[in-house]
Amino acid sequence: MKTPPEPPRNPPPGNPLQRRDILKTLGLGAAGAAAAAVLPAGDVAQAMESPQEQLKTRYRETEHVKRFYALNRL
Amino acid sequence: MARMKFLCDSERCIECNACVTACKNEHEVPWGINRRRLVTLNDGKPGERSISMACMHCNDPPCAAVCPVDCFLQTADGVVLHSKDLCIGCGYCFYACPFGAPQYPRTTDFGSRGKMDKCTFCAGGPEPDGSVEEYQKYGANRLAEGKLPLCAEMCSTRALMAGDGAILADIYQERSVRRGYGSGAPGWSTAYGRNERGSPFAPGGPGTGGA
Amino acid sequence: MLVKRSSAKTAGNKRSGLVAALADTLESGVSRRGFLRRSGLAAGGIAAVGALPGAMIRKAEAGPILPNVEVVTRKNVCTHCSVGCTVIAEVQNGVWVGQEPGWESPINQGTHCAKGASVRELTKGTRRVKYPLKLVDGVWQRITWDQAIEEIGNKLLEIRQASGPDAVFWLGSAKFSNEGAYLYRKLAAFWGTNNVDHQARICHSTTVAGVANTWGYGAMTNSYNDIQNSKALLIVGGNPAEAHPVSMQHMLRGKEHNRAPFIVIDPRFTRTAAHATEYVRIRPGTDIPIAWGLLWHIFENGWEDKEYIRQRVYGMDEIRAEVKKWTPEEVERVTGVPGAQVRRVAEVIAKNKPSTVIWCMGVTQHTVGTANVRALSILQLALGNIGVAGGGANIYRGHCNVQGATDFGLDVSTLPSYYGLAEGAWKHFSRAWDVEYDYLKGRFASKELMEAKGIPTTRWFDAVLAKPGDIDQPSPLRAMMCFGHGGNTVTRMPDMVKGLEKLSLLVIADPHPTTFAAIKERRNGTYILPACSQFETDGSRTCSNRSMQWGEKVVEPIFESKDDYTIIYLLARKLGFANEMFKHITVEDTRPVPEDILREMNRSCLSIGATGQSPERLKMHMKHQADFDKITMRASSGPCAGDYYGLPWPSWGHPEIRHPGSAVLYDTSKHVMDGGGVFRARFGVERNGVSLLADGSYSKGSEIEDGYPEFTMAVLRKLGWDKDLTPDEMRVIQAIGGGGAEVDNVSWQTDLSMGIIRVALKHGCVPHGNAKARAVAWNLPDPVPIHREPIYSPRPDLVKDFPAIEDRRDFRLVQLARSLQFKVADSDLRQRFPMILTSGRLVEYEGGGEETRSNPWLAELQQSMFAEINTRDAEKLGIRDGAWVWVYGPEDGSKAKVRALVTDRVGGGTVFMPFHFSGFWQGESLRGNYPPDTDPIVLGEPANGVTTYGYDPVTFMQETKVTLCRVEPA
Ligand code: SF4
Ligand code: SF4
Ligand code: SF4
Repeated sequence: MKTPPEPPRNPPPGNPLQRRDILKTLGLGAAGAAAAAVLPAGDVAQAMESPQEQLKTRYRETEHVKRFYALNRL
Repeated sequence: MARMKFLCDSERCIECNACVTACKNEHEVPWGINRRRLVTLNDGKPGERSISMACMHCNDPPCAAVCPVDCFLQTADGVVLHSKDLCIGCGYCFYACPFGAPQYPRTTDFGSRGKMDKCTFCAGGPEPDGSVEEYQKYGANRLAEGKLPLCAEMCSTRALMAGDGAILADIYQERSVRRGYGSGAPGWSTAYGRNERGSPFAPGGPGTGGA
Repeated sequence: MLVKRSSAKTAGNKRSGLVAALADTLESGVSRRGFLRRSGLAAGGIAAVGALPGAMIRKAEAGPILPNVEVVTRKNVCTHCSVGCTVIAEVQNGVWVGQEPGWESPINQGTHCAKGASVRELTKGTRRVKYPLKLVDGVWQRITWDQAIEEIGNKLLEIRQASGPDAVFWLGSAKFSNEGAYLYRKLAAFWGTNNVDHQARICHSTTVAGVANTWGYGAMTNSYNDIQNSKALLIVGGNPAEAHPVSMQHMLRGKEHNRAPFIVIDPRFTRTAAHATEYVRIRPGTDIPIAWGLLWHIFENGWEDKEYIRQRVYGMDEIRAEVKKWTPEEVERVTGVPGAQVRRVAEVIAKNKPSTVIWCMGVTQHTVGTANVRALSILQLALGNIGVAGGGANIYRGHCNVQGATDFGLDVSTLPSYYGLAEGAWKHFSRAWDVEYDYLKGRFASKELMEAKGIPTTRWFDAVLAKPGDIDQPSPLRAMMCFGHGGNTVTRMPDMVKGLEKLSLLVIADPHPTTFAAIKERRNGTYILPACSQFETDGSRTCSNRSMQWGEKVVEPIFESKDDYTIIYLLARKLGFANEMFKHITVEDTRPVPEDILREMNRSCLSIGATGQSPERLKMHMKHQADFDKITMRASSGPCAGDYYGLPWPSWGHPEIRHPGSAVLYDTSKHVMDGGGVFRARFGVERNGVSLLADGSYSKGSEIEDGYPEFTMAVLRKLGWDKDLTPDEMRVIQAIGGGGAEVDNVSWQTDLSMGIIRVALKHGCVPHGNAKARAVAWNLPDPVPIHREPIYSPRPDLVKDFPAIEDRRDFRLVQLARSLQFKVADSDLRQRFPMILTSGRLVEYEGGGEETRSNPWLAELQQSMFAEINTRDAEKLGIRDGAWVWVYGPEDGSKAKVRALVTDRVGGGTVFMPFHFSGFWQGESLRGNYPPDTDPIVLGEPANGVTTYGYDPVTFMQETKVTLCRVEPA
């Protein structure tokens, strides 16, 4: 199993991904998506994140997340 | 460093299955695969309690320990992910998982079961965050969008919580104090390690009066 | 084929640790899911699901993400229950691609139940009706909208010509928006009949009748949110954990924060009862005895609120006399509840005030439904809990807009806003609609029929099958226009099928084909019109707590479907009265504009205060949801500051005066302009020399510090307040009064200028007057609620002590009651049908269930129709868990083949069946009868295939909760 280096260094810079429009930044056109879809699973390996990236923290304590915690305290 | 955890408050869970359908909706999970499901104790009898279960994103995941192709990875925030490209569908992880989380799309007694699927903590997979490939194989990556698992975000009674384990423990403790009794949140000790969070919530501890 | 995680079986049962323990329970077969999983999936289900994606690595179109496409967020409201959860939809390219939690909604705060969390599927439309269809010799044919409207219209006109307008039954829907409901009622009025009804008949008609006759209005008095203020909760005949799941968020918070006792009275140990601090199991059909049993202890110990009763309640002494009979021994004899437990519960609700009483269909769906409702209302009055935050009668309505559809008159006994059907009501609406009263009268067969209650939806098939002389209208029903209504939620389905067979025209306008379409007896004369869901149009809907929420169109109507407004307009145009009907409503192309419809409602629906909720205000509330407090529901800042969320009616007067709405009805601690109120003076000012007006109780700031009658011009004059009317207002009032002395009779309800209302408010008074609530409702069949055994009583020995009401006529039909009850009791039926049959809901499905059983995300969770049977009974009958059984009903040789769920959830001798299933009939699948590709994924036997006769005398509510049955292994 891959686990993150210990102890984790600075959390990766908060690169606030916006849902769904992240794709714009990737420049994937509709054709690209369709092509990706028919690729056999094994062939998309080059589209993988680097091992480092795969283990990075995804969680960020955004306003959205804070709102969730607050509502759970009610 | 925040570690991602689920906590299902069985005093609140009403077995409504919103968590289950929210997951289906968010990730377009096909018929036959349930990343999350409900477990009910004493169904129909006094003391009936339910909890919503998925992959618990264990600190020391037994599934990863047995995987012959080492397809699991654990992110820095404690989410257990796996690679469907590496997975050979052998089913070992299913045997190892104490929660029955891994699922396989095909059901034959011999041969491939298909690539294993399980709850991703709404964190996608090894592909780039938010990419089409990632969505196709693992579903949405809400964590990368600054959100939390949809199952927890939509839970009807705020029974199911997800997020930073330390904060959840805090919220849960507040609730127990308010109620004047705790309830052993099933799965807590397995997922967190027996000693990590202290005793009030561990099965048999003083906080388990309602269980 | 993949079936419901059966992989768990093949992949091995050997599990370790916690889940092994948990799974053991699951697989011992006592859980709904466990049993279903083992029982597998019916063959039909598999066929339907074949088209669903099976592999985990999906095709591109299955994923909701589209690159480089803008995401638009739209706000609408869940279409599945009266809680009214906000739905946040993410739309790309006109396709609904994602659902997000609506944190800001004060009601659901981002949460949903299984149904709400899956509504996006509705607009994917795999199983939807896609274009108009016509049944020709048993085969479904695709037709155009033009052809459909043309043929349907011609047939309707032909029937009208031959048999009169009353030969058509217009069945509307609680899934309409308010605007749709109002428009449909208006359509029936212009067509010329009162045979127009909707689901409220079968869920809470008795609640509306019961509480309106007690304190003035037929609605939940407080709100879901307000339950967080309760110090004790008493839930009677309701299972909100399944029927209104998000309400449990508020209820459980109330329980935790206030350490409030949470008491559930129900024949079945429901999932709600699982969270109770005290569970009381009663014999089905004994709600009045238990209510009186509680009140017996309250009176005996002097726990009642004597000052409240003196000031605000009429007739409590007569109640005392009846309650005296219900000693602990008598209560135990009839209900089966031990005396000590009744006393304990009585003490808890009396000493932990404010305490709230919550009820649902376990109370309402009885031959004594109205009396049940009144008994619980009186219990709350005795405790002084009405008009108090944290108290109240919290009546959980069913469908997402059943409150609104009721308010806006989809009812056989009233025009919109409960004006009734008397001449004055018609005159009011002829003015509001700007048509001559005589024109409307001319549309009806006679003035008499114009003012006579129509045929309710519980009995429509009796009205089809009736011989001409047996029915109080010129002809039996010949056509049914059925909008948004499953057919399997009404009792006595074998008779319904006969009725369906005999109809010359059946029109179904619905997103799904419904049970009506699948009945094999019909081969011609059936049309299906694809109506869209509320996510494909806009309009307002009223949740149970009377808040009105504006839903925004998420996507355009899918396939060829159209919204209700358009379909109603097309029909009106074809039938020849569109110009009159839409005189003041803009029609864009063929679509009436919902905002305009709402404005017309605001102008005319004075009597419930549905006047302040302009489309502009409602939209503003939706936009600024975050400003509203999550318990009081009041905005403290922002453009809605001071308003209660959704302007829960009454929101008196013109929108411009900015009445905030009324979160808690009849709350005297607040000024009327602050949402305060008093009991409505609806039944005169005195009876037999006793005043009916409040005694020294009034809402805060009222200039009249005592009871007062409803406001009319005469009252204003007497008070000298008529001088406050503006000349414009005066002119309208004069015109309505027709000049002369009649002007004095113009009241707050008929004054279209709303001047009388404005003046009353100005003086701190409530326009409807300030009266006492009525513990005794002399106009009802049982002025004081008394216990009556069900028609099919499981206790024939009690029938003579508690007989049903005498046989009678009402709603144009005969109602059998006592004669049938005695016949049943005197026969050997009880021996042949030894079990009690009761019915209820499941969380995954809604109503008739076609819509939800068509949604794979929900259907997967509940794949079989079942009957719950007590463990000991099952053992006696040799029935294994999961086995097929026949459930036989006592009428018509009726039967249903279902799976047995052996559980102690039901008591010994009781069988429970959920009512959401259809598509099987007496063991036979009807899948082939549905139009192609519209058959729901999951089909099952309808519970109402075996239910029986029995109606409430006030509303003709059906008895679904108590009948007899026999169970045998199949
Ligand atoms: S965290 Fe996401 S993937 Fe896991 S169960 Fe919840 S919704 Fe499904
Ligand atoms: S949504 Fe919440 S309450 Fe409903 S089943 Fe899931 S965890 Fe339980
Ligand atoms: S069905 Fe009711 S409780 Fe469930 S999400 Fe819809 S409105 Fe909310």
